[in-house]
Amino acid sequence: MKIRSRSKGPSPRGPDRARTDRRGFLKAAATALGAGAVAGTPAGFVRRARAGEKNPFPDAKQVKTVCTHCSVGCGVIAEVQNGVWVRQEMDLTHPISRGGLCCKGASLRDFAMSEKRLRFPLKLVDGRWQKISWEKALDEIADRLLKIRKESGPDSVFWMGSAKMSNEQCYLFRKMAAMWGTNNVDHQARV
Amino acid sequence: MTNHLNDIRNARAIIMFGSNAAEAHPVAMQHILAAKEKNAAPLIVVDPRFTRTAAKADVYVRLRSGTDVALVMGLVREIVRNGWHDRDFIDKRTFGFEEVMKVADHYTPEEVQRITGVEPALLKRVARLLADNRPGTLIWCMGGTQHSHGNNITRSYCILQLVLGNMGKAGGGANVIRGHDNVQGATDMCILSNSLPGYYGLSDGAFKHWAQVWKVDFEWLKGRFDLAYDKKQHNKKGFTMARWYEGVLQPKEKIDQRDNIRALFYWGIAMESQSQMHRVKKALEKLELLVLVDPFVPSAAVVPDRKNGTYLLPASTQFENEGSVTATARQLQWRYPVLEPQYDSRPDHWIMFELTKRLGFGQEFAKNIKKWPDDCLEEWRSGLQTIGYTGQTVERLKRQRDNAHTFDLVTLRANGGPCDGEYYGLPWPCWTTDHPGTPILYDMSKPVMEGGLPFRARFGTEYKGRPLLAAKGVTMPGSRADGGYPEFKGVVKGTNWKTDLSDKTFRAALSKGMAPFGNARARMYVWTFPDPVPIHREPIQTPRPDLLADYPTYPDKKLQYRVDTAFASAQKADTSKSYPLILTTGRIVQHMGGGAETRANRWLSELAPEMYAEVNPRTANDYGLMDGDWIWVESPQKGRIKVKVKVTLRVDPYTIFLPYHFGGVFEGVSRIDRFPEGTAPYVVGESGNVVTNYGYDVVTQMQETKTGLCQIRKA
Repeated sequence: MKIRSRSKGPSPRGPDRARTDRRGFLKAAATALGAGAVAGTPAGFVRRARAGEKNPFPDAKQVKTVCTHCSVGCGVIAEVQNGVWVRQEMDLTHPISRGGLCCKGASLRDFAMSEKRLRFPLKLVDGRWQKISWEKALDEIADRLLKIRKESGPDSVFWMGSAKMSNEQCYLFRKMAAMWGTNNVDHQARV
Repeated sequence: MTNHLNDIRNARAIIMFGSNAAEAHPVAMQHILAAKEKNAAPLIVVDPRFTRTAAKADVYVRLRSGTDVALVMGLVREIVRNGWHDRDFIDKRTFGFEEVMKVADHYTPEEVQRITGVEPALLKRVARLLADNRPGTLIWCMGGTQHSHGNNITRSYCILQLVLGNMGKAGGGANVIRGHDNVQGATDMCILSNSLPGYYGLSDGAFKHWAQVWKVDFEWLKGRFDLAYDKKQHNKKGFTMARWYEGVLQPKEKIDQRDNIRALFYWGIAMESQSQMHRVKKALEKLELLVLVDPFVPSAAVVPDRKNGTYLLPASTQFENEGSVTATARQLQWRYPVLEPQYDSRPDHWIMFELTKRLGFGQEFAKNIKKWPDDCLEEWRSGLQTIGYTGQTVERLKRQRDNAHTFDLVTLRANGGPCDGEYYGLPWPCWTTDHPGTPILYDMSKPVMEGGLPFRARFGTEYKGRPLLAAKGVTMPGSRADGGYPEFKGVVKGTNWKTDLSDKTFRAALSKGMAPFGNARARMYVWTFPDPVPIHREPIQTPRPDLLADYPTYPDKKLQYRVDTAFASAQKADTSKSYPLILTTGRIVQHMGGGAETRANRWLSELAPEMYAEVNPRTANDYGLMDGDWIWVESPQKGRIKVKVKVTLRVDPYTIFLPYHFGGVFEGVSRIDRFPEGTAPYVVGESGNVVTNYGYDVVTQMQETKTGLCQIRKA
């Protein structure tokens, strides 16, 4: 089993702790709510570099993306250095959000880089979680599905999908259910 | 949304129903507040709860949860009786006004007050404000939809806007602000048990259309379904997210398929968002195989008591993927990849490709897709004619994202630059690769090639001898047609605008300045629905049994989405005496959905660490409760949760409010020790949806979480 090493480049946790402490973030988030997001003046969240201040991430690449929380579609600029998302910048010229972000949008970096993420496939064996390879997990799942299909038909498998996927993935998900041979497929738009 | 968020800046009035945008869609509020400030547009917030959005309102209307139809029809009646309705618009572009008025006349201000609790003077004031300040926008959210007659509620909103002549206008529209970042896209792609992608439905024609796009044989595709059980099984709607668990728990004779559901994928979804969660838990325990695909460990891995047959597969986040995402205003945006897949996670499409290979249809599944995501986008673009997901190429979407700054703040149209003339997000329908997108639906002030559109001719040309097409004179700049016309068909032999995979039909229509889907009247009378004109119906678990004689719910439904759904029989068991408080749920700004992501986020967990129940001071005093006390909340279906009391005037003395983002605790017992090592979220809490009640929409099977009953007692 290969667990991706992230030893190259700075630790994703280190620089963050140094640069945005808890109080600083809470203050910033409160600003985003009070003045930034609501009044539409993101000034409270923008921090221009002061003269003489050294940019800690001079080689960081700015990547334009879109917030993954609600459906407003706010612009987000991620700063990435050596494969690590090191900082987040306001997307001031984004036509919908104009730099505004709520506290969820402002903390996207910690969502993607979270140390709480599920790191590798796991299987529950007699009530205990055991590590398993992708290969083996997918083989076992497929075998079980094919057995169920044989005994009970394709409708005995339910495919619950997600509004958190991209359009391309959502489309594929529906296609997968159709080709498996069932309309037992749905997602959170139903509720 | 028929319009877009930025367009709210054109509104002269804003009325919001069951929408707490200040918390659920905070960044959308900037446009709402801009209209309030710059246009002096009155902001009217209708909600049982005094939300943070209500705090910004000029007029706050507190109604009893689930009584929107009565209030809205009362407004319609008031507007029409005063002659404030848009006669010209109604005569020429709508259908069924007479039927609407027959219903609306019943909702006198006094009757509205009896049902909703809203004073007649306030009702009249709101009607006057809407009439005097046009165009006005109407916004709603889950507060309007999560009801057993939610389809009636949302249609009543549209009727109000039609009567005011506010549809198809900048600053107007019927605007639902949707939930998750790509819930609009996921709906358009139809991860739904009642349709194939693009709302084509489940008819043989729909399967033939997609078989053609997928380049597979129709008979093969149909043969994948359980035709031995029923030769029409592929045409039959599946179970829904709201009630899939009945497919596990009910005896198999009671469900409309060969056998029970034995295996389930929970792929990027939270059990916390489903009502009757204690029943969901039981079903999760009974399944033979449970596969959870998620970047974080969802509660479904720890709350159900399972020992085996459970897999956790780490999906990458969307920041580790590249592709398009559709915002609430039908706008597609490109997401560039920020990171490589983290840890040993895999993007969702990789998992699908690998799984389908092992399931024996990998070749058919991936036939046209070599390059990710370009080939996949090209494939959906070639088959989504119905909604005009056809002109949005990868190249155009990237160009827009790179030049987002060139779009006008109010119109969202690019002013010069490489995207000149396009609307931001190429909002659908974007018919062809040179169409700019449609920012405002049904806006006839612009040519079709500049984003104009009439109402769609979807239901033929007439109904019982009355015309369904728009009246003479209803036309748009550059159109060759004067008045209504049906949908285009036969441009390419044997096809119509929905099934012609070339863009010939679209181009034929556009070259004449006409819409491919025709020019018709908006139906206010929907003869295909249980209530053709929306009427008020009491929630299944009503706090007002005295109103049941006048406003009962529907008869029970047989095999609705494969299982019987109780309406009248569930309502008959009056539970309002033992469960005297109204239960409603909603969002808070710090968390999202079931909270698996946000509760594993150190900043957000610190901002909102605890589950709680909002209780009015009067209720708290009557029950002997103080802020911070623990209580048990119990539902008539015996779901129960132990939560802390938050004493607040946001709710009235009859109502308990619960946020629904928490999980990981069940009936007072934390399950945090069951998380795989290192994956437990920073905070856990009881799930509000354990106590939301039984009740489902008669058309969509949407769960009735916004109006239920409960009892509370000190823990």
